[in-house]
Amino acid sequence: MIEYYVVAASTYAKDIDFLFDLIFWLVGLWFMATSGLFFWLIIRFRKREGVPAQYISGEKKDEKRWIHLPHYLVLVCDVFIIYFAVVVWYDVKQDLPPADQTVRVIGQQWAWTFEHPGPDGKLDTADDIVKVNELHIQKDTLYHYKLEARDVLHNFSVPVFRLKQDAIPGRVITGWFEATMAGEWDIQCAEICGIGHGLMGARIHIETADQHAAWMAAESPLSLAAYAPAQK
Amino acid sequence: MAAAALLALAAALPPGPARADELERGEALFDLCSQCHGSQGQGSKLALAPAIAGLKQWYAERQLHNFKSGIRGKNPDDVAGLRMHPMSLSLKDDADITAVAAYVASLSASQPASTLEGGDAAKGAALYAVCGACHGPDGNGIQQMNAPRLVHTNDWYLLSALEKYKAGVRGSNPKNANAIMMRGMAAQLADQQAMLDVIAHIETLARR
Ligand SMILES: [Cu+2]
Repeated sequence: MIEYYVVAASTYAKDIDFLFDLIFWLVGLWFMATSGLFFWLIIRFRKREGVPAQYISGEKKDEKRWIHLPHYLVLVCDVFIIYFAVVVWYDVKQDLPPADQTVRVIGQQWAWTFEHPGPDGKLDTADDIVKVNELHIQKDTLYHYKLEARDVLHNFSVPVFRLKQDAIPGRVITGWFEATMAGEWDIQCAEICGIGHGLMGARIHIETADQHAAWMAAESPLSLAAYAPAQK
Repeated sequence: MAAAALLALAAALPPGPARADELERGEALFDLCSQCHGSQGQGSKLALAPAIAGLKQWYAERQLHNFKSGIRGKNPDDVAGLRMHPMSLSLKDDADITAVAAYVASLSASQPASTLEGGDAAKGAALYAVCGACHGPDGNGIQQMNAPRLVHTNDWYLLSALEKYKAGVRGSNPKNANAIMMRGMAAQLADQQAMLDVIAHIETLARR
């Protein structure tokens, strides 16, 4: 349902969407049922000549059933939601599958800095590619992100991945994603962080292996140095 | 006929003070700026926002364009610049940039209080000879040299700007020629003491 509006571009996007759908349909069903009953009662027991109104205190057993039965049924639905939510939460947030690549994501007022590992595939080496408001990743590759905040709370949100993770000053939070689709989409900050919060947008560029290699070759500081060794 | 003559006359005149409707638009836009730069453009160290009141319109305009295009402020180590970059994106077109720059220029400039210590203005005066070539002996800036004023802004801002230039946090984008030139100039200041000295001298210019 949601992928109709925002494409699902990560391996776990469909799991998150499944939860949205599950909650939508369960809550929606109950909403329709209770609204239906409510209006039916209003119409069925509307004001009539010669019929006095009755005060119902709701203490008799067959009156209390109207509360108890739906209550238990709602609880059964809750169990479903909780079960599936825990399964998805475990997969997305608690389980950390081994990484093919690692990127560093730094939030600050009001920009995202992305540190890409460069051709050697390792962070904190001379060929790292540092970009402001531009994240370049390869499709079908499992990434770990190391999320940091320089000043206040931020939240690294990639809608097409269905990923949201708070960034907290003083902590390095590790998470993962794997893109399933090439394209360019939004990254946003999803935690109010000051007056520029609404303008704290970035772009994610999901590239095929060839595109990504070409981008790396063009952007790596080492390959730039090869072109202009005199600079420094 | 008279109107046509007036129009021709107006066209022939150099660009005069900003139009009233432009200033009005600029004032409305300045509401966002004022959150950090202060309601009178007086600056706030806490927000890392320098005093901008009375900044020349050409300079304010150019810097807003630079921030917007990302040739200024879009460096991962430029904390203040990264705050200003998204703000500039909220100005939707050139007319807005002109309007807000005109409003900033219309605010009355004043010299903010000193916050730095340990600068030797006499030593700074000798160092300033190089700066003065572009920024003017009075520190008021020279448009023909693409050099902004140095007086009427915060001493802590001048220091952070010099440090950023020296470290290449500013002046390393190949598309920003003026900043690259300034980076070369800042490199000539040996250390922080030299920066404090030259800033102390600039403050005496403001009080002259
Ligand atoms: Cu934020």
